Amino acid sequence: MATLEAVQYKSRTRTLVTVFTTIFLIVYLIWTLAPFLIMFVSSFKDLLEAFTLPEIGDFAGMGVFFEFTPTTKHYTELFTERNFSVYFINSVIVSTGSALVSVVLGAMAAYALSRIDFKGKDHVFFWIISTRMAPVVAVMVPLYAIFRNLDLVGTIPGLILAYTTFNLPFAIWILKGFFDNVPYAIEEAAMVDGRTRFGAFMEILPLAAPGIGAFIVLCILFSWNDFLFASIIGSGGAKTLPVATRELVTPTSIQWGKIMAAGVITSLPMTLLGLLIRKYLVTGLTMGAVKE
Amino acid sequence: MKDQLTEAFVSTKAIFRDGGLVIDAPAGARNAALSNRFYFYLMMPAIIVLAAITLYPFFWLIYMSLHTVDLGLADDTWNNLKNWTRLGRDRKFQEGWWLLLKYSSLCMFFEVTLGVMIALILNRSRYEKILVTIFLMPMMMAPVIAGLVWYYMYNSTFGWYHWLMQSLGILGDKSILGSSSTAMIGIVMVDIWQWTPLIILIVLAGLKRVPRDQLEANMVDGAGDIRNFFQVTLPNLYPFLLIAILLRFMDNFRFIDAILVLTGGGPANSTKILPTYLFDVSFSFFKLGRGAAIALTLLAVTIVLGMILVRVFERPSSTRSNSGGT
Amino acid sequence: MASISIKSVWKYYGDTPAVKDLNLECLDGEFVCILGPSGCGKSSTMRMLAGLEHITAGDILFNDKRINDLPPKDRNLAMVFENYALYPHKSVYDNMANALKIQKVDKATIDKKVKWAAELLELSPLLDRKPLELSGGQKQRCAIGRAIVREPELFLFDEPIAHLDAKLRAHMRSELKIMQRRLKTTMIYVTHDQLEALSMADRIAVMRDGVLQQVGTPSEIYNQPANQWVAGFIGEPAMNFLDCSLTESNGHLHLSHNAFSFALNAEHIAKLNGSAKEHSQVHMGIRPEHVTISARATPEHPIKGEVLVTELLGGDLLVEANVNDTRVTIKTDPDYIADMGDTCYLGMDTSRWHLFERESGVSLI
Repeated sequence: MATLEAVQYKSRTRTLVTVFTTIFLIVYLIWTLAPFLIMFVSSFKDLLEAFTLPEIGDFAGMGVFFEFTPTTKHYTELFTERNFSVYFINSVIVSTGSALVSVVLGAMAAYALSRIDFKGKDHVFFWIISTRMAPVVAVMVPLYAIFRNLDLVGTIPGLILAYTTFNLPFAIWILKGFFDNVPYAIEEAAMVDGRTRFGAFMEILPLAAPGIGAFIVLCILFSWNDFLFASIIGSGGAKTLPVATRELVTPTSIQWGKIMAAGVITSLPMTLLGLLIRKYLVTGLTMGAVKE
Repeated sequence: MKDQLTEAFVSTKAIFRDGGLVIDAPAGARNAALSNRFYFYLMMPAIIVLAAITLYPFFWLIYMSLHTVDLGLADDTWNNLKNWTRLGRDRKFQEGWWLLLKYSSLCMFFEVTLGVMIALILNRSRYEKILVTIFLMPMMMAPVIAGLVWYYMYNSTFGWYHWLMQSLGILGDKSILGSSSTAMIGIVMVDIWQWTPLIILIVLAGLKRVPRDQLEANMVDGAGDIRNFFQVTLPNLYPFLLIAILLRFMDNFRFIDAILVLTGGGPANSTKILPTYLFDVSFSFFKLGRGAAIALTLLAVTIVLGMILVRVFERPSSTRSNSGGT
Repeated sequence: MASISIKSVWKYYGDTPAVKDLNLECLDGEFVCILGPSGCGKSSTMRMLAGLEHITAGDILFNDKRINDLPPKDRNLAMVFENYALYPHKSVYDNMANALKIQKVDKATIDKKVKWAAELLELSPLLDRKPLELSGGQKQRCAIGRAIVREPELFLFDEPIAHLDAKLRAHMRSELKIMQRRLKTTMIYVTHDQLEALSMADRIAVMRDGVLQQVGTPSEIYNQPANQWVAGFIGEPAMNFLDCSLTESNGHLHLSHNAFSFALNAEHIAKLNGSAKEHSQVHMGIRPEHVTISARATPEHPIKGEVLVTELLGGDLLVEANVNDTRVTIKTDPDYIADMGDTCYLGMDTSRWHLFERESGVSLI
């Protein structure tokens, strides 16, 4: 019955506040978008053009930013000289692989945790979530040692497993929330209808499907954007886009055009995916604590 | 005595049989045991994988922190807690904690203030949906890439950010990252750019749950907008802000990608927050034993923060709608 | 105290009208109920009075002063919300003192007023509690307390007792009425429960789909409904409606149903005012308590029917009868013995008839 908009009565202060907040929003919008714009535009600029700035204080000269002959050579060079197609594929395989492993194992564990009670469940739970929150740098050394012993360093399965350290606890934690919301009566009904326990589990899986889909995407996002694991565990045979981009920075020369192009290649798919699951972002990024 | 032993034995067996999940399985409750075994099997793969990649490294970390670890050159040697006692004399370690605290607090202060302001404005805006969608784009960017883009913008000869600051007379010739007095601000700004959207999202979700009738009752009681904000909106937002702050704090411990790219901890160690220092100790100097000790202190603090966070998660009144009503 | 007048008020949400051309006067010290089913615009009306919604068109006057553009804080009114809207982090005392604190009233006066209201509402022992520790009825009294400490010019009550259980609701009805009579403050009370409206209000305004149907005292609303919709909405069990037609034979007007026919008396004809011809298709409405029943045909019970079901409601017995495929509900005393399928004979009190035009539902008699 009531509208969502709050009632506002006109007054002088109100007008002032509106003007102020509008300006504030515009400034924040520019602040948010400027790095994207600079990255995007610079990726099409040749070296000299990328270094052109107006004189200090010459605000009218800001137009030089757009004065350039667009070139796609950075993009082509990345793929022809720099093997970016390999890194791109690595990124795709590693992030989807880890997401799938995490969600499959996670869904099973989350379902079980949601349905049974046992002494110490709270502790198991806290252990699971704390593995997700642990700083990567802190566990990197022993993890590296283990992975080296298993010959997993620099391999794609190794990196998938490494990402599972943070994606799996995340998946368990979030998916448990989903299963908690599915009434047990549905499984009981399925079992009365003659399903096995596992059959009953499969029966309720579709109910959590949209959420599961969204969290596969979130897991992909986390792994795709990771740098530390990829640079240490993945170094060598499993180089991903963020690492490859970082390597364009060398002590002798920084190839800005290529870096910006690589940035676009790395960021664009994730930005699109992120917008796709916009609805689940808050829940995902707050580990289920906040729902939209 | 013998009876007690038998009892203990039987109950132990019961625990093993049912995967440790059945506590009081009454005799003949076959069904319960069966179903518990089913859940147990479902759970096992994830638990095994997790244990292998988290518990094992954790104990190894403790082991390493007690030894001198020399990367295969010599056997690990027990060193009488030297790794630990050294921390007391390690200026960079203490500095690292102090800088981490400073860095996190600065990020938190600006992100929360900015996030709450933007969320309040957006909550009343007609363009909320589209603006939120645009605002959250930085979160999707890999932190390394964000670091690189800002590194480019900060550059003192061709960076647009530097040009703007110079034009406004705020900065001199030196890049913001080039001086130890301003470098911290430089890395904080990147964090603000990337993570304020998360605060906006959380606060917006919180604002939607502020009971409308409480706001209206307060208006009828004679409160203006500002009073309404402090009396009704803010108290209802507290749990959301707490969650946001704890999450961001832990992320500041976790992610150092952007800092590695931007400053690597410099200049003059002015941005060498603890995780960065830890990275240096382990991966530049290869002092793995000392690194482990440092890592354990970091883990301990994270776990305490995590415990607080879980407590907040479980507070029944926190994030669920809590109108004063029925 | 205030007199309220609502003049040609419209409320649109987007393109959807919620209140259409509402005109309503409320005298100083009067207790007016706005009654209607959900979605009828009653809450929108109340929220416009409170200043929580903008008025799309028209004017609202308090004491002949236009208040359309005044924010709620400048209207000097108090409102009790359906969900009580207590501040969960404040004690009962602070909840009640809130408005006075905002007005910067001195502490001693606040204390006196809160204690007075607490005494009146029997909340004194609970003043230190938080709303979460109160029962539904206590929360509700706290919400009322928050309203009365202000001694406003106008009380707005938005379904304040809808969430209480039946027994407490009955108790609160009389309490509220006593309170209003004692404080003599103008009160506008929104409800969907006709019992609340009939038992408490000085006058009732019945709304439907944003349109005001009728304003009148409870007895006017009950006994002289303005149209068929109001007649059917008010009264429990609902009024019987029978498809009838007005026919003329031997120079007399008759009301004919396929099971019976009555001659209209002079009083009826006078009310019809010669317009019978135009309204030959009518609904005859009669309340269940005005239909009598007998097991045998008598001159008073000429209409033959068949008992479908009986329902004993303590002091009353409801009989549903089938009269030539029309269902008629009869309220009679519980001594009447009837079984399913029994033949029965009905009589109707012709002075209690209502005739409504079949198409428009406008009341004719």
